[in-house]
Amino acid sequence: MAAPLLSVRDLTVRFRTDEGMITAVDGISFDIAAGEVLGLVGESGSGKSVTAKALMRLNPGNTDYAAESRIVLHTEGSDVDVLALKRARDLMVVRGGAVSMIFQEPMASFAPAITIGDQMVEQLLLHTGLTKRQARAHAVEMLGRVGIPDPNRRIDQYAFEFSGRMRQRAMIAMALSTGPKLLIADEPTTALDVTIQAQVLDLMLGLVAEMGMAILFITHDLGVIAQTADRVAVMYLGRIAETGAVRQVIRHAAHPYTRGLLNALPNIDDPAAPLVPVPGDIPSPLERPAGCVFHTRCAQAIAGLCDVQVPAPVAIAPGHAAACFALAPAPAPVERPA
Amino acid sequence: MSVAPGGEHPIHVAIRDLSVHYPLGRPLFGKPPMVRAVDGVSLDIPRAAFFGLVGESGSGKTTLGRAILRAAPVTAGHVTYRDAEVEYDVASLGKVALRDFRRRAQLIFQDPYAALSPRMTVRDIIAEPLEVMKLTASREETDARVRKMAARCRLNLEHLRRFPHAFSGGQRQRISIARALVARPRFVVADESVAALDVSIQADILNLLKSLRDELRLTILFISHDLSVVAHVCDMVAVMYLGAIVEAAPAHMLFAQPRHPYTSALFSAIPSLDPDRRGQAQRLIGEIPSAANVPPGCRFNTRCPFAQDRCRVEVPAWREVAPGHHAACHFSDELQPLLYARAPGAAPG
Repeated sequence: MAAPLLSVRDLTVRFRTDEGMITAVDGISFDIAAGEVLGLVGESGSGKSVTAKALMRLNPGNTDYAAESRIVLHTEGSDVDVLALKRARDLMVVRGGAVSMIFQEPMASFAPAITIGDQMVEQLLLHTGLTKRQARAHAVEMLGRVGIPDPNRRIDQYAFEFSGRMRQRAMIAMALSTGPKLLIADEPTTALDVTIQAQVLDLMLGLVAEMGMAILFITHDLGVIAQTADRVAVMYLGRIAETGAVRQVIRHAAHPYTRGLLNALPNIDDPAAPLVPVPGDIPSPLERPAGCVFHTRCAQAIAGLCDVQVPAPVAIAPGHAAACFALAPAPAPVERPA
Repeated sequence: MSVAPGGEHPIHVAIRDLSVHYPLGRPLFGKPPMVRAVDGVSLDIPRAAFFGLVGESGSGKTTLGRAILRAAPVTAGHVTYRDAEVEYDVASLGKVALRDFRRRAQLIFQDPYAALSPRMTVRDIIAEPLEVMKLTASREETDARVRKMAARCRLNLEHLRRFPHAFSGGQRQRISIARALVARPRFVVADESVAALDVSIQADILNLLKSLRDELRLTILFISHDLSVVAHVCDMVAVMYLGAIVEAAPAHMLFAQPRHPYTSALFSAIPSLDPDRRGQAQRLIGEIPSAANVPPGCRFNTRCPFAQDRCRVEVPAWREVAPGHHAACHFSDELQPLLYARAPGAAPG
């Protein structure tokens, strides 16, 4: 494989709070290749959004990145060490330049008192060499490409004048207009109805394939991942439990958490199958379990091992790895989760 | 106006031509435009059914659920509630009868974080309906019933002394369910009761609702936008679009062979867990129109890929397309082979 577009190594993110340090992401590593769709799936509190925000350095001021954490963006000619960036001007490359983001709630992502067009033009002026006139023409073109009717008129409207679906489309247009190399989509369709979700996913994947960019697709919905991603990383309480090609992970899930998630998930193609809940509750972030973070809910947990030691990723198949002691009694750690 | 019924009627709640219309603003002149949130719905909910009501946001499913409980103003039509002891015309209940009806029909809310008072202990939250409705003679009796219901909902007795902030989403939803069921209602409306929960927890609450239905012989109206969940737990399903029911059938029949293009489109939009089934879906164009501006003829005609001239003029009749299976579509028979089935051959129940 050619050099990845983005490499994340040993990323640990903690938040300083009144109750002490809270670990949100705990030593995760992954790569995204150019043009690849990587799904990051997990329940609430798994750290998937914090991971995404770390890539753009959007986490709040009380965030603490561990010293060994590295996020490297490989662009033409130069490598950008994202966590070392300091000045706002240098951060522009990961904030709308080479990396762009689509959020869950499109209403909150547009300034309410500035027209959609002015917001799109502003970022084009910041990130590209276009003149104001060219930027406006490009913004109109992008709005048209995402299927907004009459873009010449709609561009001068405000976010509140768009319906939820139109707003989500406008946000996609805005995120893609600067031609980023990596698009981060954080639950982009969770607030939408299924029929609209299907439209938005089609649109997003079509444009991304056309423009050749990579996507980090964050969602709690394994069905959406099965339909969109090339590879998937399953997160639980800040760690990656399992990673691999989508088909491989869904058909041959190895980690007890991934299997539990698949058994708990209502599958419309097999409604007669019983729903098996994952026992117990997700622990509070203040009471992070020692050892394997999943051991408190795992039926296969081995006392004295899983509650003490952190399991390393074990290779299951090429590109497919899971971090669980039950998979290999004498774990042979793989180099890196590919 | 209760009547002495003769034995248990198989239909627990019968809805006839029910409408809930709201005026939209107050213009200076003339009549305000009306939002037709629920528009002439007729539906029979059988006793002890796990009855699913599905539709997109804006379809009116929540308003329908509330109108049945008399928590939304009924503009026209009737809701008849029947159990072994009483028969009520819900829309015209007097004060005393309404209080009795409130005990028999309850609502479980969507958001377990907003539904519980942070200042009350779990015991007081669950006991409140008993105390407000004066259903118990002594504090001991109240405590006994609270403990019994908490145990049924798999809550520990030590939880009863704590406040809700100490609990996770799944536990809170169990508290919410215990509170709704403590007065021993016969009919429960569960409005998006698992939508706010993580999947690993959601299955637990769904299984709990199912076992409570069996143990207490409850009738549950389960309102949800999630068809996969409905396919797993419901035995009857009604599909709602823009204030009207477009299709209703036993769940296994509906999923094996939908007879309305809207149901088919909803099914095909659900992302499959099978990575080899990509891109096989029928896509709906556009979005749900405003309920203040319902299209003439079939209300689905603006988005229906099969719409003909007739659909834009004539309202389709609600008819039985197969035994126990109703749909409102002019071309239900002709379209049958073109409609998208999920889980063909799924076992009944």
